[in-house]
Amino acid sequence: MIRIEKERIDEFIRTLMETRAVYAPALDGKNTMFAPVEDPAGIDHNIFNTDKSPKEIFFPHSEVLFEYEGEEIKKVERDVRPIVVWGLRGCDARSLRLLDKVFGSAWQKPGNDMFEDPYWKEKYDDAIIFGTACNEPRSTCFCNWFGSGPHDDAGMDVKVVDTEEAFILDPVSEKGKKFIGSLKGWAEATKKDLATIKAVREKAEGLMGEAFGMEGIAEKMADLFFKPVWDDIGAKCVNCGACAFICSTCHCFDVQDEGKKGKKGKRIRIWDTCMFPLFTKEASGHNPRDMSKDRLRQRFMHKFSYFISNYDEHLCTGCGRCVSVCPVNLDIRDVVRAVMTSEA
Amino acid sequence: MKELRETVKSLLTEGKVDLVIGWEKGTMPGASTPVFIDTAEKADSLIFDSTCRNNLSVYFTKDRRELAKDDKKIGVVVKGCDSRSLVLNITEKQIDREKVTIIGVPCNGVLDMKKVTGKVDGKEILEFTDDGERVTVKGREFEQTFPLDEVISDSCVTCVRRDAVEHDLFIGEAREPGSDENAYVEVEEFEKLDSGERWARMEQEYSACIRCYACRNVCPSCYCNVCFVDQNDPQWIGKSPEITDTMIFHIIRNLHVAGRCVECGACERACPMDIKLLLLNRKVAKEVRDRFGSVTGTGLENKPAMADFKEDENQDFIMG
Amino acid sequence: MSEWEPKILAVLCNWCSYAGADLAGVSRMQYPPNIRVVRVPCSGRVDPLFILKGLQSGYDGVLVSGCHPGDCHYISGNYVARRRFAVLKPLLEFVGIEPDRVQFSWISAGEGERFAEVVSKVTEDIKKIGPAKRLVKGA
Repeated sequence: MIRIEKERIDEFIRTLMETRAVYAPALDGKNTMFAPVEDPAGIDHNIFNTDKSPKEIFFPHSEVLFEYEGEEIKKVERDVRPIVVWGLRGCDARSLRLLDKVFGSAWQKPGNDMFEDPYWKEKYDDAIIFGTACNEPRSTCFCNWFGSGPHDDAGMDVKVVDTEEAFILDPVSEKGKKFIGSLKGWAEATKKDLATIKAVREKAEGLMGEAFGMEGIAEKMADLFFKPVWDDIGAKCVNCGACAFICSTCHCFDVQDEGKKGKKGKRIRIWDTCMFPLFTKEASGHNPRDMSKDRLRQRFMHKFSYFISNYDEHLCTGCGRCVSVCPVNLDIRDVVRAVMTSEA
Repeated sequence: MKELRETVKSLLTEGKVDLVIGWEKGTMPGASTPVFIDTAEKADSLIFDSTCRNNLSVYFTKDRRELAKDDKKIGVVVKGCDSRSLVLNITEKQIDREKVTIIGVPCNGVLDMKKVTGKVDGKEILEFTDDGERVTVKGREFEQTFPLDEVISDSCVTCVRRDAVEHDLFIGEAREPGSDENAYVEVEEFEKLDSGERWARMEQEYSACIRCYACRNVCPSCYCNVCFVDQNDPQWIGKSPEITDTMIFHIIRNLHVAGRCVECGACERACPMDIKLLLLNRKVAKEVRDRFGSVTGTGLENKPAMADFKEDENQDFIMG
Repeated sequence: MSEWEPKILAVLCNWCSYAGADLAGVSRMQYPPNIRVVRVPCSGRVDPLFILKGLQSGYDGVLVSGCHPGDCHYISGNYVARRRFAVLKPLLEFVGIEPDRVQFSWISAGEGERFAEVVSKVTEDIKKIGPAKRLVKGA
């Protein structure tokens, strides 16, 4: 564990920037998001949870896969420096790990390695994630529902705790240990620091609301598929994609060609969501998820049922972004409660 | 609040309506959420205050437009702007006036939560109360009270029709509309900038758009079966958040609701990226008012401006 | 920039302006070759999307022309179109599209000369403001 005094944090970030592309929370216009750092002084170390989720660092809203002209296919030039993410909260670090289950290969079941996504892997595999522990979780936070908590370090390479005086860096993965081990000129964390960490951790955990029991939700949801509970839940949903686009784990996409048809252009991958009718519309004009409640149900089924069957985890980390942006205040926690308390 | 609940209860028990759409307390401080009340017992959850930000008329026209087509008699709680949406939808034959019971509530403006959090430097608000004139917020180590007028949405600041223009019942006394002489000051200010500056500002504002279409989906006037952005054969515009595609989406959406937008501001409040969407809507509304003398949704006998014309009309924009 | 010639999209109503263009042609009138004509059944058929799509795909200007008021083949198509353009034009200017970039005119089937004049005027105007940049895809 190393200790970086607050006054020296810019210096530390600068050392990271020497060899890597560093992403950190920043205010862009009216919204906060993870942006490439140009000047460490511009980093806001106190941003609670960015308005836009960090998934866009590795899985951009719109990503050019390749360009083409006639028969010729051109690879797109990219920033090849490995990525460092600074200031990621625990929920978001876990989100990236969940996305890696989908796009990466390390998590695939043995013998099934066909789903590697090169665009994700070339960015994520070499990335180092500095996660900042949450000292003051908010009322929209519910990471503890998923067995996590404000000081959870899953998905992080280095866990960072802000002790008011200093940032304490605790390497938690092999990659993190190697990286921190290679650094020179930084003090070791003191006993006092460790005591402070314990205290802030307990305080943060005390601020979390009570966790709701989610055991068996996958089966429960599957049983309720045709039940009227979805009419009740879906009644007020206006079927926009705000929840999915700010979600740190939603990862559906569409692939399109832009440019002159068949001649010159680029193939792009763009975020898409099951909340949009076009997502499932078939060429015949038939739409198997025709009504808005069908689409809403799909989003929750994916998070709490299908993903569990595929990867043994919930596709939600309790970051609370959707809770605060939903225009009709359709709270994901209420959806879970409604499902868990209704009769199959 | 009590009167509203009692009114709804008696409407339901007397069988005058089968369902009432209203608001109940939301899951966050300062939030409300739409609620569908079909029994008198449920009516006790109804509220009306500055947190009731949605325009509930939207529920008559989304894919639940069957709500409007059913034989069900539906009651809906409305602010001034929401009632104008209903009037528009009635004139456009989307809602049958006979089947809807309009319950007006006195509106003093609805909250812009960004303004509220701005007042407390972005600190987390854990408790919120509103007495109709002043709002009080409490957090971990603070408590602050300020006039409601300072934290209402921009659309409410210039609103001159706060109470339902068309209603069957009104909770309290409906106020007469004011004068809209100064309603478009912001638009006029923007018009004074030069063309390049205007584009630069638009580009900056709209580059934040994530194309989630929350603005469109909360809008009671946006009810096309298939929106032009969802058409893929031909596909009119690109789906990525590039500024040109984003701007075209917003310009065309504004033209589609030209003479149909009631400037309720639901779009702006729904925007997760906090884009000042209403500026364009207001520009269009101002043109519609000044050129065609039409204010949307103010009378059941009025035709929507863009579905109407006069033979001798100002055509100063056409080459002489 | 001296070689730059604007590309202008001209959306013409079948019954008047397109016939006007035809008359200009058979009368051997000279007008700038910068326009690319799209024939539509009526100015009322012109969706604002056509205009914006034109600008997005690289046209430097758009001209929409229909029958004079009172002359519409479909009685009221141009009246409805006029209302639409009356809102579209100020809105485009409001967001920062140069005022002369998008223009509207009424040209009848007998006004070949006027057609040539209008096209010359529009081409001149657009040459003055230069190539389109705002709203252009990939700019």
